[in-house]
Amino acid sequence: MTGRKNNRIRGHVDALATGFKYLAEPNRMTLNYPDESMNLKDNYRGFFAVKDKTCIGCSLCEIVCPPKAISMLDLTDAGGKKKKRPMIDWGLCIFCYFCVDICPTDAFQTSQVHDKAFYSETEYQTVHGEPMQYPYDYSKRPDYKEIYESFHDVAPDDPSAGSKKVVPKFDKKRGIKYEHPGQP
Amino acid sequence: MIQILSLLVSVSLLSFIEYILPPILYIIVFPGLIVVLLMLFFMIWLERKVAAKTQLRFGPLYVSKRFGGVIQTVADLIRFSFQEFIIPAGADVFAYIQAPGLLMAFGLLPLIFIPVGPYYANIFPANYSLLIVIPLIIITPIYVILLGWASDNKFSFVGSIREAFLVISYEIPLILSILSMILLYGSVNAINGVSFQIGRGIPGIVLNPIAAFLFLVVMIRTTGRFPFEISEAESEVVMGPYTEYSALFFGIGMSLPYIELYSFSLLFSVLFLGGWWPIVPSAAAASGVVGGLLLPGLVVFIKALIVMAFLVFLRAVYPRYRIDQAITVGWDQALYLGFAAVALSIALVWSGLV
Repeated sequence: MTGRKNNRIRGHVDALATGFKYLAEPNRMTLNYPDESMNLKDNYRGFFAVKDKTCIGCSLCEIVCPPKAISMLDLTDAGGKKKKRPMIDWGLCIFCYFCVDICPTDAFQTSQVHDKAFYSETEYQTVHGEPMQYPYDYSKRPDYKEIYESFHDVAPDDPSAGSKKVVPKFDKKRGIKYEHPGQP
Repeated sequence: MIQILSLLVSVSLLSFIEYILPPILYIIVFPGLIVVLLMLFFMIWLERKVAAKTQLRFGPLYVSKRFGGVIQTVADLIRFSFQEFIIPAGADVFAYIQAPGLLMAFGLLPLIFIPVGPYYANIFPANYSLLIVIPLIIITPIYVILLGWASDNKFSFVGSIREAFLVISYEIPLILSILSMILLYGSVNAINGVSFQIGRGIPGIVLNPIAAFLFLVVMIRTTGRFPFEISEAESEVVMGPYTEYSALFFGIGMSLPYIELYSFSLLFSVLFLGGWWPIVPSAAAASGVVGGLLLPGLVVFIKALIVMAFLVFLRAVYPRYRIDQAITVGWDQALYLGFAAVALSIALVWSGLV
């Protein structure tokens, strides 16, 4: 029993000593996000948009989409001609890029933006449709044309555009370490 | 006529400065409300920052980035002030509303009876200061229990029952540790205790280390620091007794442990760390506000700040005790330590060593 008690006291002392050690030499692992951000690989899959001129409305993306995030909208263009265009529900999208691969005319404008944040619920809804009801039929919304207009041709802005890009490196002492690619 | 008036004014002004101002200063400025508020802002920030630093994180940063997010707590206060105050349908409304106010009042009251300088004896009757402080410290958990019961919520109820169990098991060690110091100093007047330590040149923590350690443990328990953060355990009972509260009332619940921490730390530095020890005011200086209250008070405050910083640091290191483990420590080891502390004090006094 005494042995166990001694161990217990030693455990307390050790824990406090370790705590003080880390307090004196902070070994931060958190990425200081909007100031620093990860340098992504070239094939990283982010948000995408549809080029309205290139799209032929063949619905292949809708058919191939695994989570059924894409639905085709019936739209009328400026000349009064009917056309079909894909609408993406970002609440469902799993960023598999099957739609990008299958597109016969290469109409998808891809980007590496993966960390889009919104200031208001309205902004989220106008860009991305109603997130609460899945799967969502966009053509039933009265404002679906505006939604489409706000969405197509342009992928969202990168919120971490001005940040320092860093690369994670394994470090024997610290575990993980972030390096700026410019530095040696 | 004018001369008489001016005389009257000057006399009343003098008496105001001499008799009325010091208690106001004591209650409103130091160690009272204003310093409590600043200490709250600083301590909550320090707790989050130190825990983050030790756990490889950044902690609060973005509110005033240059100063390490030090006014994050002010931002939190603003948020709490503009939140809606919700009363649950099943709550006992009267008790639900009055409990946080009483809790705050009884959390702040001990500060009046803890002397932070020799001048204190002139403004409040100091003869029974420790005897008044002990019940005032012990009475606050009753309102925590009331608050949990009034909320009509399972988490609140479980949290308050936990609080009740812990209070009962750590009350006796607290009283025993203070009692051993009362026996040692031969007085229930805390000013006499400090002059005893200054006169012998030995702080109380060296005279009776067992009592000091026990007081520290009970202080951690009462103020809900880790590893005794059991009644508010976030991962188990949401926020314990304060679960149903929102807005400023939740702010009261959140800041109360820090106020208790403050009064406990002041008491600790008075009882065990020699009070205002490096500054020994002469009899003449002790009767002035600056020499008798502010300078010694500053020393006591700095000592208390160091104690608080240590206790706040524990959050970074410890996990949480299970409720039965904590109660076992209270009734087993802590109780024995309490008796040992009293025995040590009696031995010291009888043997005439001090």
